[in-house]
Amino acid sequence: MSNSEQIALELDRVSKSYGPLVALRDASIRLKRHSVLGLVGENGAGKSTIISIVNGTRAPSAGTLKVNGTVAQFSSPAEAARLGIATVFQEQGLVPNLKVYENILLGREKQFSRLGVLNSDGMAAFATLVFDELGLQIDPRCRTGDLSFGQRQLVEIAKAFSLGHLYPVEPIVLLDEPTSALSDQETEILFASIRRWKEKASILFVSHHLSDVFEVCDDVVALKDGSVSGQWRIEDTDADRIHEAIVGRPKLAGYYKEAEQRLVPGAPVLVAEGITVAGELDDISFTLHEGEILGVAGVLGSGKTSLAAVLSGTKVPSSGSIRLHGEPLSFGNQAQAVARGIGTVPAERNSSGAIGVHSVEWNMALPSLHKLRHDKAPVLSAARSASMAQGWIERLGIRTPDRHVQIRNLSGGNAQKVVFAKWMERGVRVFVLDDPGRGLDVGAKEEIYALLRELAAQGVAILLVSDNLPELIGLSNRILTFRSGRITSEIATPPAAKPDEATVVRGMV
Amino acid sequence: MSSNAPTSPARTFSLSDWLRHNAISLYPFIVIVVLVAAFGIQNPYFATFDNAMNIGRQSSVLLLVSLAGTMVIMIGSIDLSVGSIVTLAGIVAALALDPFGPLTAIAAGVGIGVLVGLINGAILVQLKVPSFLVTLGMLSVLSGIANMIAGGTSIMFMDFSLTDFVNATVLLGVPNIIVIALLAAAILTFVAFKTVLGRYLFAIGGGELVAANAGVPVQRYKLFAFMLSGGLCGLAGVVLTAQVGAGTPTAGANMLLDSIAAIVMGGTALSGGIGGPHRTILGVLVIAILSNGMDVVGVNSFTQEVVKGAVIILAVASTIDRKKYQFIK
Repeated sequence: MSNSEQIALELDRVSKSYGPLVALRDASIRLKRHSVLGLVGENGAGKSTIISIVNGTRAPSAGTLKVNGTVAQFSSPAEAARLGIATVFQEQGLVPNLKVYENILLGREKQFSRLGVLNSDGMAAFATLVFDELGLQIDPRCRTGDLSFGQRQLVEIAKAFSLGHLYPVEPIVLLDEPTSALSDQETEILFASIRRWKEKASILFVSHHLSDVFEVCDDVVALKDGSVSGQWRIEDTDADRIHEAIVGRPKLAGYYKEAEQRLVPGAPVLVAEGITVAGELDDISFTLHEGEILGVAGVLGSGKTSLAAVLSGTKVPSSGSIRLHGEPLSFGNQAQAVARGIGTVPAERNSSGAIGVHSVEWNMALPSLHKLRHDKAPVLSAARSASMAQGWIERLGIRTPDRHVQIRNLSGGNAQKVVFAKWMERGVRVFVLDDPGRGLDVGAKEEIYALLRELAAQGVAILLVSDNLPELIGLSNRILTFRSGRITSEIATPPAAKPDEATVVRGMV
Repeated sequence: MSSNAPTSPARTFSLSDWLRHNAISLYPFIVIVVLVAAFGIQNPYFATFDNAMNIGRQSSVLLLVSLAGTMVIMIGSIDLSVGSIVTLAGIVAALALDPFGPLTAIAAGVGIGVLVGLINGAILVQLKVPSFLVTLGMLSVLSGIANMIAGGTSIMFMDFSLTDFVNATVLLGVPNIIVIALLAAAILTFVAFKTVLGRYLFAIGGGELVAANAGVPVQRYKLFAFMLSGGLCGLAGVVLTAQVGAGTPTAGANMLLDSIAAIVMGGTALSGGIGGPHRTILGVLVIAILSNGMDVVGVNSFTQEVVKGAVIILAVASTIDRKKYQFIK
């Protein structure tokens, strides 16, 4: 059938569940040959699940997968690779201390080895051939770690394309949020390359930037809560319709609780002057006020996360000063930062925000143990700790069977609420938030946003670092844009006159 | 928000669920019951009060050493020098007994342990050398020093006041050495669960970055953990020297493996953060009952080693929580 030959990849009513959790429900998706299919959705909507099923990392619970019209069943990425399927992950899958050509052929050295000894000239020549064909100006013999992030991304995509030379198949390339860490210029190069390369391949393009999708995709599929919620040819749709399919309802004005935004910020709480970290931050000065949410925008490497690290005490600036409530704050001292009332909610919740194997109660208690002791002995009081935990569970509506449950068993939104409870119990007056909505679904995000408004209303000063521009614009009283370690603009974002994303982006790139 | 349906398990109590979730805590109990039954059927003497006291006497020093190791494993580090601290402290105590008397001997043994712990911890914290390597090196250094001091032979002494004390029975016919070990276990369990120190040690093991982020002075508490471990091993060395009536340069040689096996079997994860000293008591009991039982039923010592190793592997394989390990190396 000629029709099915035109479909490179087809998912037919594919489902995937992990225990009681349904990650993907009856998803049917078709990727046409020599086209780019965009896959959009919130975190947790099922994008990564689709990628992991297509690349052989996980087996679907139900449904069929067809590659070039033939039903395919594979149980490992290596088997998927033989059918031409290759994934380019957002966290890069290249080994930095290997040469570029070694990475291109990693795990597929067979044709280039004899009795286990590698023919490096042959491997390098192969990589050169692949790069020439794709028009890449990268020396395959250099060390991978010496390339820029954007170059490495292109190498990884080239690695995916090289499958076409190794196996008698046309590549199907899965790009998992390829632009999230690229500069504008690098993104342009990537898009130009994709447009050229799709003559030789079919591409599944996962992104949460709708602008990317309109730039480079031929078709688009929207996912919500594990189901396909919309499917269009790109010329038949627009951003609003896709957005509605992603969040399941029209974009509401109240999502970021703009009505609760404080109009007049209070007294200065934290004053930073001339903060400099070699190669990361250059002469950063700003003032954070009581009850204010100060947004920090910037691309990866702009210095926005370095600033959060300086405030939390994990990074020591070479010069500059920070005054908190008028008193100087010493650098590089996390314990002192906490003692002075700065609470950090890190982006990496699982490694830095919460102890997964400890209970909800223990996680909440950690910075406040001094308050949870008996009055007369230096011994922890079980009763005080219990009522503390119970109180926060009720007050923040944390959904957990009880306070003893290990936090790793909670959903992302509820775990994040525990992290907030931990700092609220400590009574911190300054919150440093690095991407607090990361990995949370729409509903959980909305609850966290409401919590931020509540904290601001109580006079807590909040520094909000985020990759999510609508979130930054919606929540902040002001936004500082960072580029190459410098503040490039300060944008006022009063509730009645929120700037558009383009205004903020102008300061970032 | 209604869009985020709770995925929490049902609250209704189910015995099979409870057993599944608590299997790891119950496991050492089950092993102990099975072993006691098996050995008891083979030889009725095994299940007597006298033999129980034997088991206790044989395992008191191991319990002290295992408790020491537990405090370090709780923070996700490891102390491989425990056995060599026992040896060195035992020899120092043996040397100190006759000239300076029992109290000084105890202080010297415990003090040397704390000092070694301080050095271990300082190298870990200041030079950022992984604890595995620091304490592996320290193991060799201390064994060498112990042999140098002792001249390769046992140190004898005339002052038997400590020996008489540890072997005496004051409480209900239970030898003092057992009371000392159990008292140490009780105190450490209290420290682990009822004090800020204990909670911080658990937190560092469960997530060092999280602990640091919450304002815990992580490096200082790591140092404390190693000093605690060293001091307990020093005490174990003094007790051992008192028990056998001499300080010998091979005294602690076999304790490292037995103690790690006991800790892990008890349920303290090698990756840290969960478990605790109370769990280690059970792990030590398993090893002690196994060794004593095989003696009582007359298994030869080479076969004993094979059986003990196999039981440890089996026990650990069936108890470790694989979710805690990202990679099994």
